[in-house]
Amino acid sequence: MNTGAQGPDIGTACVDWDEYLKAYYEKPTSTRTWSGYEVKEYYTPQDLAAQNYDEHIANPGSYPFTRGIHQNMFRGRYWTRREVIGMGSPSDTHQRVKLLLEHGTSGLNTISDITYEMGLDADHPWAQNEVGLTGVNISHIRDMEVLTKGVPLDKVSWSLITASPVAAVTMAQYVAVAQKRGYDISQLKGSIQNDPIHFRYCGFRPACPLELSIRLGCDVMEFCTRQMPKWYYTTVNMYDLREQGITAPQEVAFGFGIAMIYIDELLRRGLGVDEFAPRLTFYVSCHIDIFEEIAKIRAARRLWARMMRERYGAKDPRSMQFRFAVHTAGCSLVPQQPLNNLLRVAYEALAAVLAGVQSLHCCSYDEPICLPTEKGHLQALRTQQILAYETGVCNVADPLGGSYYVESLTDKMEEEIVKILQEMDAMGGMEQAIRTEWLDRKLELEAIERQKELERGERLVVGVNIFTSQPETETPLGVQRIPTESARAQIEETKALKASRDQKKLRESIERLREDALEGRNLLPAMIQATKAYATTGEIMGTVREAMGYPYDPMGVLGNPFK
Amino acid sequence: MGRSRKIKAILSKVGLDGHDRGVKVVAHLMREAGMEVVYLGMYQMPEGIVQAALEEDADIIGVSYLSGEHLVYTPLLVEEMKKKGLSDVLLLVGGVIPPEDIPALKRMGVHEVFVAGTLTQKIVRYINENVRELGRDSLVLEQRPEPLASSSDALC
Repeated sequence: MNTGAQGPDIGTACVDWDEYLKAYYEKPTSTRTWSGYEVKEYYTPQDLAAQNYDEHIANPGSYPFTRGIHQNMFRGRYWTRREVIGMGSPSDTHQRVKLLLEHGTSGLNTISDITYEMGLDADHPWAQNEVGLTGVNISHIRDMEVLTKGVPLDKVSWSLITASPVAAVTMAQYVAVAQKRGYDISQLKGSIQNDPIHFRYCGFRPACPLELSIRLGCDVMEFCTRQMPKWYYTTVNMYDLREQGITAPQEVAFGFGIAMIYIDELLRRGLGVDEFAPRLTFYVSCHIDIFEEIAKIRAARRLWARMMRERYGAKDPRSMQFRFAVHTAGCSLVPQQPLNNLLRVAYEALAAVLAGVQSLHCCSYDEPICLPTEKGHLQALRTQQILAYETGVCNVADPLGGSYYVESLTDKMEEEIVKILQEMDAMGGMEQAIRTEWLDRKLELEAIERQKELERGERLVVGVNIFTSQPETETPLGVQRIPTESARAQIEETKALKASRDQKKLRESIERLREDALEGRNLLPAMIQATKAYATTGEIMGTVREAMGYPYDPMGVLGNPFK
Repeated sequence: MGRSRKIKAILSKVGLDGHDRGVKVVAHLMREAGMEVVYLGMYQMPEGIVQAALEEDADIIGVSYLSGEHLVYTPLLVEEMKKKGLSDVLLLVGGVIPPEDIPALKRMGVHEVFVAGTLTQKIVRYINENVRELGRDSLVLEQRPEPLASSSDALC
């Protein structure tokens, strides 16, 4: 063994020098983008020759907003550094919110757990084992009070991640707490995900029948448009769809398809497009192919602007601006060699910022292993802060604008998105694509195809099918355990609350909610009133579901207790 | 090797967890590898899964967890399997599982855990080497089966 002055033995005897030589001369086996588009060796001014700059690209802040929705972009304001938080009880989640606030997060962002998204109270038989495992359950107004305790709701921008029709209840609970604390709700800033249509594809179909999704989703949108002008009332979630394995253009096309269902319904309700469109936002994935993701977002911006102007007759430029948050691609992360995920996230975050993102969530490196640990969460926030404060990426808007390659790829993405939109239009729009399960089939086929590409080695992932190593036996920064005791306590509190309410007030508010549901009125006012009367999430949702012809309990276990 | 039927697997989600992309892909690719797969879908409880395995005379039960519920439901599943006498059925777990929990799952009675990112060959090989003797045709492995794997699936 050769040690000492020569340094440690690096085991050169084991090196296969032929392999070394192969590695030295190795070249990429594929020159396709992540979504499978062949690209050229290099691009030249010829590739842009046909373009009229002012019409097709234009300066940042100018229609069609290819280069961004603000002229000065991050010079005006950094993107919002939002990290998604949710676990255990409302109190546990509150603690993590405070921790990240202490470390410079600039937007609050709390996510619901499965039980809450499904519309189940903490004491529901199906919920009891799972409360708090993947987010936070808000069973009633007191839970929302605990979650938001001590936070000045008129100063912060709170992003509430409830996607299913239960988003309407979340909004009611937030408003009810704000009103009880004396805030003027017209001044509240923040957003609610409120995209129930997409959520049927995320394992929540019993909670997301299509009619209920459109009705409640648009009730929130309409209510906020009229009463809470500073609130972003939906974040159409194309990210979740992308996570199913679809391509970049499919992500945008399917997201736009869903957005158009909401827009058509809001127009049908008599709102003007320029009344509501400026507050419509999107949640976009940034996957691992840096240039394709940037091109995808630039194409989405241009296409959205044109659609809003030409298809919907928008006049206000703000209605034409594609506003979006980015979630780095959870499905690009793997548990093998987990620290590699830090680098994947950093590249994806870089793409988001170069594409002019408004608000960013970086995945924690431990996402494919467990819910984020404190350290993992902080590291994700630090990734954003290094980007924002050290790398100089904030100095110039759309720094890749004019790149022969990026502009060409932007055109390519746009062309592909349009093709899919036309295909969906031809079958009667997204609503038909959903009803006929065309979209289900697409999602499933694409997922299988992505996996086969990986298996065949056409798609390479370090640690999975290239540069593999022994399986991990431990997680570098530890594993997040969900504090089950506090979730237990939440179940007991919910039971106690149900036993101690003013029954008369409760029943009156439930009856009004039922009538409004039957009469087709906007349900937010009645939901807010019911929330203040201590009606629970399950009771509010159940009442509305039943009035609309669905089983009271999406899991089919509980009956209506008000009968 | 005269096996009379294909290897048969029951795949399922457990509880409320709706992350089903990975398990559906696995089900599809196991079929392509020559196995018979019954995917029960979402919102299944241990009793129902074991009952299905019993009725289908399955050789394998495979469950997918991506929401941290593996330590909650696995003991219930194992207990139910014991109760119904499925001692020679392979119990496989896939999904988002911290490596620290794998020994505990194995102590409970899980035969193998395939975390996100596992390639198919590994799963198929494991099944062929460990499935109970069926007295039936083994998979023709010279024909490399279409591989399958559990996929990393982000939290929605």
